[in-house]
Amino acid sequence: MFDTVTSTVVKTALDGLAMRQRVTADNVANVNTPQFLAGRVQFEDALRQAVESGQGFDGETRAQISRVALSDEASQPSLSRSLEPTRTDGNNVNLDHEVISNIDTQLRYQLMIRAMDDQYGGIRAVISGGA
Amino acid sequence: MSIFPAIGISGTGVTVHRKWLDAISDNLANINDVRPTSGEAYRAKQVIAQAVDYGDGNGGVQVGGIVEGNAEGRLVYAPDNVMADAEGYVRYPDIDLADQMGQLLMAQRGYASNLAVIDRAKDSYQQAIQLGKG
Repeated sequence: MFDTVTSTVVKTALDGLAMRQRVTADNVANVNTPQFLAGRVQFEDALRQAVESGQGFDGETRAQISRVALSDEASQPSLSRSLEPTRTDGNNVNLDHEVISNIDTQLRYQLMIRAMDDQYGGIRAVISGGA
Repeated sequence: MSIFPAIGISGTGVTVHRKWLDAISDNLANINDVRPTSGEAYRAKQVIAQAVDYGDGNGGVQVGGIVEGNAEGRLVYAPDNVMADAEGYVRYPDIDLADQMGQLLMAQRGYASNLAVIDRAKDSYQQAIQLGKG
């Protein structure tokens, strides 16, 4: 009963966002490294597809289908290198982009934490009988 | 990597930029060094950054090496200097002040950017730690 579609999606999103946060930190750390290409993390499309694959089913079944789709190798967050034009030193980290991505990822991460917390809060309320 | 990877990665960025700042201040401190023409001029130090574990994107950065400037420097005619040779020349290091100041700005900005990332990562991790207390 704790394995709802929502909790699975939130957990996967948190994993992807944590990875993006790590990769952004890596990009900023290497802002002055020659020949360094900025890393990019993709997970949203795979997550959406996994959730959609469970459509048309109800409750437990849907959660199970989504979970199986998410555990698939193809649904894991993937890292690629940016193909944007480089500076003269062969580096293409754009600090403005990284800062915005960093703030955006941080807020999304906190939002997901909140969503997870609220889920647990509901369960906790039921366990304690609303007291 | 630590249990809070983003902080560790940005930490390596702070370290590299710190070392770069150290190298620049060393170069600037020695920009007017005078040596006799029989010896080497002060050699400017240039920090080369290098990515750690470039493939998986969670490695960070390190100092790959220090490239030293030329030992020849530039010869300056200063017959009054006690180090002047028979022709009246001394050796100054071949350091461009404008270039060093430009690098100083880049190093400083890089340092500050990494600290800002640490700050934002810290906020996120703090919330994650609070998870379930609500």
